[in-house]
Amino acid sequence: MATLTLTDTDRFLINQEGQDFSHEAKTFIKIRELALKNLKNLDFPTPKMEAWKYTNLRGVAKQEFRPQSAINVVGSRLKSHLIPNLDAYVLVFVNGFFAPELSKVKEDKDGDFIVTNLNKAKSSFIKLVEPHLGFLTRDKDQFFANLNAAFSQDGAFVYVKAGKQLDKPVHVINLIDGDLVVAYPRNLIIAEQNAEANIIVSHETLDTAVALNNTVNEVFVGEGAHVHIDKIQNENTNTYHIGGDYAEQAKDSTFTINTIPVNGKLIRNNVNILLDGEGCTANLNGAVCLNGDIHVDNQTYVDHAKPNCESHELYKCVVNDSASSIFNGKIFVNKIAQKTNAFQSNANILLSDNAKAYSKPQLEIYADDVKCSHGCTIGQFDEEALFYLRARGIREATAKKVLLDAFIGEVLDNIKIEAVRTHVDGLIAKNFDSKK
Amino acid sequence: MLKIKGLKAEINGKGILKGLDLEVKPGEVHAIMGPNGSGKSTLASVLSGREEYEVTGGTVDFEGKDLLDLKPEDRAGEGVFLAFQYPVEIPGVSNINFIKTAVNEVREYKGQPVLETKEFVKLLKDKQTLVGLSGKLANRSVNEGFSGGEKKRNEIFQMAMLNPKLGILDETDSGLDIDALRVVANGVNELKSKENAFVVITHYQRLLDYIVPDFVHVLYDGKIVKTGTKELALELEEKGYDWIIDALKK
Repeated sequence: MATLTLTDTDRFLINQEGQDFSHEAKTFIKIRELALKNLKNLDFPTPKMEAWKYTNLRGVAKQEFRPQSAINVVGSRLKSHLIPNLDAYVLVFVNGFFAPELSKVKEDKDGDFIVTNLNKAKSSFIKLVEPHLGFLTRDKDQFFANLNAAFSQDGAFVYVKAGKQLDKPVHVINLIDGDLVVAYPRNLIIAEQNAEANIIVSHETLDTAVALNNTVNEVFVGEGAHVHIDKIQNENTNTYHIGGDYAEQAKDSTFTINTIPVNGKLIRNNVNILLDGEGCTANLNGAVCLNGDIHVDNQTYVDHAKPNCESHELYKCVVNDSASSIFNGKIFVNKIAQKTNAFQSNANILLSDNAKAYSKPQLEIYADDVKCSHGCTIGQFDEEALFYLRARGIREATAKKVLLDAFIGEVLDNIKIEAVRTHVDGLIAKNFDSKK
Repeated sequence: MLKIKGLKAEINGKGILKGLDLEVKPGEVHAIMGPNGSGKSTLASVLSGREEYEVTGGTVDFEGKDLLDLKPEDRAGEGVFLAFQYPVEIPGVSNINFIKTAVNEVREYKGQPVLETKEFVKLLKDKQTLVGLSGKLANRSVNEGFSGGEKKRNEIFQMAMLNPKLGILDETDSGLDIDALRVVANGVNELKSKENAFVVITHYQRLLDYIVPDFVHVLYDGKIVKTGTKELALELEEKGYDWIIDALKK
């Protein structure tokens, strides 16, 4: 008698069944079906795979995560998840589902821009969604991108017309509530030619339960357009977060993504940028301040597909306690991408004996007229600087904080909106202070 | 104010200070001279609390407190200031925030209230003028990209802001042109009072043309082997150290 053995993938997928997407347009159902088909051929990621060498997802595979529709989040509970003094369009998602009563949308078809939830856009603005949704996440071998594509409940939809800009930033708030919830927020951002958009995506949890957040940002930056994203990951210490940020840039466009993991159990970010026109600029920054036993794995891939583009990548990590930080960044320069300027830097400070940092900067260059550099450092506090500050009467704890702020400040200076910067400074300071 | 008795210190097991005695009273300026490797900078390092140096004997009493027992920041709080021979560059920390933090931490140590912004700005302006430090440098990162002269000026500026009881200048004159030297010396002279004291560690006599010492000590092989007045410095400039060393050997 043959025994049927279920793989981790099978077991995981069984728990995802039961969501009904049949109301969606055929074109979108197709995306889900294709993703599901891909998934069925994929092994659940394990450290045996090069891309997951330092990040073990056993904790995800062995637990029964299920989508769970949102319990009502009342406005008063939302307040603590807003960013003080930030004037923005706020879109709130709980467990991946849209919370319209807590959100402020802008759905004027004839206006300069649209800010709404993706499900609404799929029905009301299908002509805008269809040529974009899923195009950057079609890789057959990406487990979590496919997982999100197959099961995503909803997400933000931001569309800015050619030559227009958002009159204020969009703040997408993703909350998780409940035990063993898996959420699949998926944001679609489209900036047409010369348009501008500034978006803050924050991830938080409402309690301390175990959760899985599998997110995707899919971003289309049109010719000459500017898109700026600040991604703040501040979830409870039992939450797994696996995020993918996919951007495609047209000629002369600028895209910036600032990734700021603050709290969680395990965070994995895959940032993928395709420079698909000449004269593009991509900025990828990471401010990684970790304590406790959090595990954060940042993977970046910048694809210089066309000539005359530049990319600037700066990831700085401060690792305390028994936390781990992984940085794996790759710059790929296509044969035709002459005059590429690509810079990548990863600096790590280890604050304790048990803290870990792994760094793998990679360049793969096929063009011959390029300027590329990469580098990484792993070290401790600059003892000379520390002594200098102390010799001026600054207590050791304060001196360390001053040095850390300076170290990480170089990355945080890339946050454009002051209210967001202040908020992030506060989150990092809180983390650092609570460790005394 | 400062009483050093039989001070012995070593680094990596190698003895550098071998029983040094020195007493500094308020209102005095002491110059410490000596050939390379005699222990001048080690003395400055030990007094400011550098952890690489291990004190193996002797005592250092500062205003009734055991200085060697205090952390570097507490020594600063008590009023000891070391002007570094090689001021450290600290990228990302603005000079103004740095000095503001330092001033307020020292005030807190002394149990004084934090300075209001207005008072701080006034103090800042006064002291910048005193040492001729450009306001532009205030907003730059600490010592980053400063010229040699600017770095030393910045040291004296910090000293002026913190107003210590005891200022130790560790070869502040090294690498300075005569104009910068004059500005630095002028800053020290302006700060000099009956209540405070300075220990000026130097290789050359020329600084002492501008900062006139009450005592000149010769440090050799970890001990003070000769003490005199400012005339001794002139003699050293002229004849070098060999005659003193030779006299010792006899």
